[in-house]
Amino acid sequence: MAAASGCLFCARPMLPRLCAGLAAGPRSLLRVSAYSTALVVGSAGPSPGQVAASRRSRTSQIARNRRLPGAPRTEKMAVDQYWGNVYPTAAAFNPSSVPLPIRMGYPVKRGVPPPKEGNLELIKIPNFLHLTPPAIKKHCTALKDFCTEWPTVLDSDEKCEQHFPIEIETVDYVSAGPSVRNPKARVVTLRVKLSKLNLDDHAKKKLIKLVGERYCKDTDILTITTDRCPLRRQNYDYGVYLLTVLYHESWKTEMWENEKTEADMEEYIWDNSPSQKNALDTLVRIRAAEKTTEVTKEELLASEIVENYKTTVVALKNEGETENNILQYKESVTKLLNLQALQ
Amino acid sequence: MAAPLWRRGLTAAPWTRGSFSWLLSCSRAIQTTAVCHKNRAARVRVGKGDKPVTYEQAHPPHYIAHRKGWLSLHTSNLDGEGGAAERTVEDVFIRKFIYGTFHGCLANEIVLKRRANVLVVCAVFLQRLPPYKFYFLVGYTETLLSFLYKCPVRLEVQTVPEKVIYKYL
Repeated sequence: MAAASGCLFCARPMLPRLCAGLAAGPRSLLRVSAYSTALVVGSAGPSPGQVAASRRSRTSQIARNRRLPGAPRTEKMAVDQYWGNVYPTAAAFNPSSVPLPIRMGYPVKRGVPPPKEGNLELIKIPNFLHLTPPAIKKHCTALKDFCTEWPTVLDSDEKCEQHFPIEIETVDYVSAGPSVRNPKARVVTLRVKLSKLNLDDHAKKKLIKLVGERYCKDTDILTITTDRCPLRRQNYDYGVYLLTVLYHESWKTEMWENEKTEADMEEYIWDNSPSQKNALDTLVRIRAAEKTTEVTKEELLASEIVENYKTTVVALKNEGETENNILQYKESVTKLLNLQALQ
Repeated sequence: MAAPLWRRGLTAAPWTRGSFSWLLSCSRAIQTTAVCHKNRAARVRVGKGDKPVTYEQAHPPHYIAHRKGWLSLHTSNLDGEGGAAERTVEDVFIRKFIYGTFHGCLANEIVLKRRANVLVVCAVFLQRLPPYKFYFLVGYTETLLSFLYKCPVRLEVQTVPEKVIYKYL
């Protein structure tokens, strides 16, 4: 503590006001008046008695100058005030602004939960005092000016699909922290129904073979997910480019596509299959053995029995074995081989 | 609870209680099993009933999510979110900073809330400083922390006349 007779840095005797300022440190200059009367220039320093006296007068002055806390806002609130003025935005709970007798916390034994003044539990929880229905209504009316009407033509899902067959899905991420960026936000998903694309039989089959896993047979939806580019716009462009390329490539027929074997076929085709050859051979031999009219293979093919047999075999191979399918196959075989006796 | 001990030397039996035998019966014990101390984390030990304790101090950590909330709220601890370590370090610094800036005026722990970019510091102070000093320190804290963390920092302040005592331990 600097002695009143000289300052710390030089030997000059100092004025009592400056001395008091240094001695008081960061405290307010209002206190200087308390010190300046006690200190005398050139003296050895304040005596202990004088210091004690100055301290007592200082605390009493602090007590006198201390502003009493005013009445809380809750007592000045009108009953019909607009609550949006008290909590216009999200803010922590303030017990002097919320005129409700709320208690929160685990009660002491044979006691009640602690009151709202200085209650940290009420401050910790997020509150929705700024989202009362009148406040939300006000937000909505303000936002309405920036909104456009939904087009009246698009009043059903089918119409939306018809006019906008491609669906783009992107996700935005919000988190608490100084950074807005999230690397997961660049993923773009493109969905389209193949029935909306102009594809013939060969093009559709080729497209399905090209995309592989991305096509769902039950819903007939092709899903393309792109995330290889760093920006969302780039991923969207890439996705659209992929769709375009797939469409054009599936319409082209390459030289090597005529080497398609039976193992590459997606579904069972009866024409030129072993089943057809066997059936026709059997029927020709039956006719030859019975020595009835000579029938040619083309006529046999055109006949109803063989057509029936063809549909049942195709159904069995493509759809799998169901009770219905097997019954129909049985009937068609009995008709084919004229085995009505067996029931 | 009785821990297994190895005793070396003569044990003190009643008939050896003479001045000479006490010199001989030097029984030392060595602990041979693992030591299991009582948990002391964030617990105020029960005293004579004269220790005033706030709600926050009175409840040990196993009451979090049962009787206590969280003092720091942010999204980094959710599944798939990052930045938890950075937020925690920021929290520790901010608590120390405010403890020092408003020295002797804190009535309770500080609650930190992060809402998108904004950092909201909720503090309960004692009315130990005149209001104009409080306002200055609040502005100083907000400006300094905003520049330090490059995000808007808001201080929401409440004052109480003295510390809110929950019970006496």
